[in-house]
Amino acid sequence: MLPAVAAARFAVAAGLLAAQPAPASVPAPAPVAVTVAGPAAILDAVKAPGATAVLVNVWATWCEPCREEMPDLVRFYREHRGKGLRLVTVSVDDEDQAATVGRVLASAGLDGKAFIKTGGDAAFIDSLDPKWRGAIPATFLFDGKGTRRHSWLGAVTYQALRSRVGELLSAPDKKPSKK
Amino acid sequence: MKLAHFAVALAIAATPAAALAGESSGGLTLGSKAPQATTKMKNIDGKQLSIADVAGKAGTLVIFTCNHCPFAKDWEQRIVELANGYTARGIGAVLINANNPDMHPEDGYAEMQTRAKSRGMKVPYVVDETSAVAKAFGASVTPEAFLFDKSGKLVYHGAIDDNRKQPDKVQARYLKDALDAVLAGKAPPVAETKSLGCGIKFRS
Repeated sequence: MLPAVAAARFAVAAGLLAAQPAPASVPAPAPVAVTVAGPAAILDAVKAPGATAVLVNVWATWCEPCREEMPDLVRFYREHRGKGLRLVTVSVDDEDQAATVGRVLASAGLDGKAFIKTGGDAAFIDSLDPKWRGAIPATFLFDGKGTRRHSWLGAVTYQALRSRVGELLSAPDKKPSKK
Repeated sequence: MKLAHFAVALAIAATPAAALAGESSGGLTLGSKAPQATTKMKNIDGKQLSIADVAGKAGTLVIFTCNHCPFAKDWEQRIVELANGYTARGIGAVLINANNPDMHPEDGYAEMQTRAKSRGMKVPYVVDETSAVAKAFGASVTPEAFLFDKSGKLVYHGAIDDNRKQPDKVQARYLKDALDAVLAGKAPPVAETKSLGCGIKFRS
């Protein structure tokens, strides 16, 4: 699929763009700045001070399940970013697709730190969750200290996010439960 | 069935209990037998085949893949070359599509036939019609390879190689190295790897 077509389909699926072209007087949102980075830089963004909870969403512009989960992710993030929620998106699109990724994220109403993953797959996968085999979409929840608290291997829903992230946001000092 | 003792080993592993015993959250564990080995699946030539039916005297390669996934497409030619090439050397091979084509029509049966022909595929490409085989393997991503040695034990699980986009810049040929090791009667130098891929669209 052509990147521009994928971007348009993604935005429509995210429920943030009408299927019809926007009036000419409505400017397109400014693209989100996207950084091509490996797992160390991505984890630095996760662990940066100032957040109570951090969601890392791994996706691609051509990935239909990723598009399908995006409205819930956008809604939840918008409702909770004022409470200390940080969102880090990591696209696994090709590295030369940063402009497309940035446009798609902007059209979906997302901001925050945005990356395109570079480097070997295994190190990236294990940096987020050693039990993850690499299937996208996947979303990972970290607490404010950078400790992984939950993984959704597959699409997330608003309800699932509310259950796990809401708990963390309301009890930021709670220790991770031992299983 | 090509090899009696391998088939027996696979058949023993065909029970749900045996399948569950070998699974972990990351898929089938090393040393396990192939689960669902006698489950028949429809090949692109219309015949019903099981993993036991395609077992090779030197080993057996099972790859979960599909048509639509960009990751699978990028590795597709290398998958076909490995499967075709090592089948001629005594490795049985089967490619399995466990995706629900309702989610991606490109993964439908007719499209599988077309893709196999266009890529020169000489090994079976079968439909896991209930996704039961993929689930029993603990497969979660396309493409995902499982290599069994001549005794039927899983000796390699994971990626094709370490560079999906640039075949000429591959540094670690995980699956090829594992295949060569199995042919030589040795343990693969790397037994488990991971790669990014598309989540399998399981049929409910």
